[in-house]
Amino acid sequence: MVHMLYLITNVRMDIIHGSESEFQNAVDSLTQEGLAHIIEEWFLEVLQQDLRRNVAEKFWSIVNSEDNDNDTDCTDRLIEAVDYLHKVNMSYLPCIQRLESMTQLQQYRRQATLHKVTTLSDSMILLVKANILSSVPQSFQKSVDQFYSEAFCVFHHSTSDEEDNDEEDNITCKGCNTENERCRCKEIMEKFHTLNRKLDDIGILERISGLSVTSIVHNRIKSQVESMCKGNFETSYLESLEQWLDSKVLGWLNLVYSGNRTHIYADCIAGFRGRLLHFLYETFARTQIEQLFNIIIEYPESEPAILDLKVCLEKTDLRTLLVTSLKSALETRLLHPGVNTSDILTAYIASIRSLRVLDPAGVILELVCDPVRKYLRSRDDTVRGIINNLTDDGSNELLDELQKVQQLLDDSYHSDDEIDNWEKWMPDPVDAYPCTTSKSRRASDIISMLVNIYGSKELFVKEYGLLLADRILTHFNYDIQKEIRYLELLKLRFGEAHLHSCEVMLKDVADSKRLNTRVMDERRKSGISQEIDVISMVLSAQFWPPFREEKIKLPQNMQDALEEYTKKFEALKGNRTLNWKPHLGQVNIDIELKDRTLNFNVSPVHAAIIMQFQTQAKWTVEELSNVLEMPATALRRKIAFWQTQGLLKEETTDCFLLVEEHKGRSNDVIIADDEEAESALASAHVQREEELQVFWSYIVGMLTNLDCLPLERIHSMLRMFAMQGPSVVECTVPELKRFLDSKVKENKLLFSRGVYRLPKPN
Amino acid sequence: MTYPFPGEAGEIHFDLPTFYHKIQYLQGKTMLQQELMTLLTSGDPGISAFPDGDNLFKWIATITGPDGTVYENLQYKLTLDFPSGYPYQAPTVKFQCPCYHPNVDHHGNICLDILKEKWSALYDVRTILLSIQSLLGEPNNDSPLNVRAAELWSNQVAYKKLLLEKYDKEVRNKDS
Repeated sequence: MVHMLYLITNVRMDIIHGSESEFQNAVDSLTQEGLAHIIEEWFLEVLQQDLRRNVAEKFWSIVNSEDNDNDTDCTDRLIEAVDYLHKVNMSYLPCIQRLESMTQLQQYRRQATLHKVTTLSDSMILLVKANILSSVPQSFQKSVDQFYSEAFCVFHHSTSDEEDNDEEDNITCKGCNTENERCRCKEIMEKFHTLNRKLDDIGILERISGLSVTSIVHNRIKSQVESMCKGNFETSYLESLEQWLDSKVLGWLNLVYSGNRTHIYADCIAGFRGRLLHFLYETFARTQIEQLFNIIIEYPESEPAILDLKVCLEKTDLRTLLVTSLKSALETRLLHPGVNTSDILTAYIASIRSLRVLDPAGVILELVCDPVRKYLRSRDDTVRGIINNLTDDGSNELLDELQKVQQLLDDSYHSDDEIDNWEKWMPDPVDAYPCTTSKSRRASDIISMLVNIYGSKELFVKEYGLLLADRILTHFNYDIQKEIRYLELLKLRFGEAHLHSCEVMLKDVADSKRLNTRVMDERRKSGISQEIDVISMVLSAQFWPPFREEKIKLPQNMQDALEEYTKKFEALKGNRTLNWKPHLGQVNIDIELKDRTLNFNVSPVHAAIIMQFQTQAKWTVEELSNVLEMPATALRRKIAFWQTQGLLKEETTDCFLLVEEHKGRSNDVIIADDEEAESALASAHVQREEELQVFWSYIVGMLTNLDCLPLERIHSMLRMFAMQGPSVVECTVPELKRFLDSKVKENKLLFSRGVYRLPKPN
Repeated sequence: MTYPFPGEAGEIHFDLPTFYHKIQYLQGKTMLQQELMTLLTSGDPGISAFPDGDNLFKWIATITGPDGTVYENLQYKLTLDFPSGYPYQAPTVKFQCPCYHPNVDHHGNICLDILKEKWSALYDVRTILLSIQSLLGEPNNDSPLNVRAAELWSNQVAYKKLLLEKYDKEVRNKDS
């Protein structure tokens, strides 16, 4: 036992001071005793005690030496502390080397592994980490952060290629934020390199710097992405960002971790690059998703941004974030009463086009635009907006879309193409609704998506018919080339059957044109010049939407002109006659006053009113209303037009006077159009009432025979018997209730105890 | 293990008579739908009909007696049962409430040639109801089902008295 102790002491002395041979002897004798394995155990024990008792205390006392948080001070203290640690480490190094070189001890080493660490130097690193860095105070981490960000600043500044020349004559150095004369860049870099080298020698470089370096790099990437891509969508940034990452960020990492270091971090840097690239993509995608609404609105210009985002989406898992954030952006920015329907439509179209680029499978589009579709359905003027968009000269987007010849796809449309190129088949993304086929999602184009807002093309076609009729009747000219072109395009899409009545409408216009020239020819032949020239538009009542009704009796000479035209028409067409709608036309009149001549394009009603003033300069509303056979209220509204033109003056209440002379005005000819552009057609509300009248006969039928029925029963009966067939008129329960209640008010229906019944005759 | 055809699990055998029957049924259905619409929109006075519940092949009709006859202002309910072979087979038409009439028996059966041997596919609900309506004013007393009514017909005043009595007792009371 004594001998053994002696030997150990001997070894100890030898490791530290002794000569090679004595040490060797001591080891030999220990080996003979079979106790060689305790040498290293003993060494590590001693090392650990030393580290715990002396070194750790000293190290932290240096770090925490002074409490004032001066920036440079704390980095200096950091350096000092690391210096100290380095020195200790160096002093132990010879012993370790010596022990490691002892071949006899090798065989025991495997058993003595500490946490899978096989060499003594690795064990030493482990012990340093365990004893000194077991609890890192916040201030230490802060000073490390401080140190590295300073160094990064300097590095970044020194490698940047003078991006901003205008600030060159700034007195502060951008690297270290001090005045140029006292620039500490060099000093900082030197300190930085020595510290890194020392930490690396000790083997705790990554342990100390890893966290700071990563967070610095992340912050840097974030700010870079934001400064580069915020608000600008017209260029692609992904590539330049990747380049930036490779040159700047990885350059910095290389500087920290590699270059003549004992511990090789090459793999570590490669791994770092992968992680940072992913982080870059994710940051970029998040930034873009945040501003995706703006990107979409600017779509054709912002295509590069969309393509960038597409790449990022493939590499990250931000799909759900994109869907939810875009959905909420659309809802907050678009779907509220303050936005015009046309703007919503524009945004919707832009979303369709851009999201189709982003996700060719159309799933994101389907998910995101569902609320938009629902909202658009609730707006009355959506269909009108779509059609205006389609036939508008200004925006050619939809028109181009329309020209792509393709049959309108119904949702149920299915084809066998999929089977033909099954090799290219891609499954739908996970968030796709399983109930719709991927084919329909992929293939449907913008127009069909717009039409499908309402789920049926009937409504769309009907509204188109209305607008077409309106356009023809308000413009009142025979130039229909453009309309024919649109119609042909629409026919390709919706099929001929649906647009039959529109075709008849256009044919009416063409026929009227021919008829007019013939009537004109005859009139010229007969040589009688007419007081009033009449040009007609002969409409086939069956095919036109219902017209707005208005009662008026035209002045005799106008009436005569119309009758004369009718006679000519009857002579030409035989067996057919004309039924005039005098309130829908247009009259071009010259009004000759004492001092000037005015030319107007007005409605016949307006013309009729002003013509009354030819015979009599002063009329009361009542008199006029008698002569023209129209209600006084409507009349007053029409008179207001002439008042604004300065031709009539309300002398006393309801008594109007013609203004012959206009004082203080030159006698130039004012050409004015009838501003009050009234639609020629019955309003949608009136039309709806008429549609509901169809149900009324059914309701009377069922109540006569089945006595009394509750609301739901009536609705379901209507659904079963009346809402079938080719031209379906839909009617919701609340709408039906309103309709029935209006009938109750008219005493055509009784409602009691939850059931409707017909009133008993007398 | 054999698999049935997709979607048509139970109906693999093709049965020609059933098939024809089905077609007939569908024809009848669209036919009746159409007839309902023409009947309701034509607005003939005094006749009306509507499917009873969800079954399109069973209707209830209402006939008001023609003006200028003893049946004036009296309302009668009838049932119409359409066979699946309609319109090639006549529907069964019966008065739902008792009707005192030479050609109507106590169970409401009607003796009318066009509903029996003279049925043609050209007739429809509207013509049937119009015929029955006119039958009320002009009974065929040569082949009566209600002999006493036929005998009483010649005395219009007594007939009307009895009729109104019966109507009040048998129809109005049932209504209320």
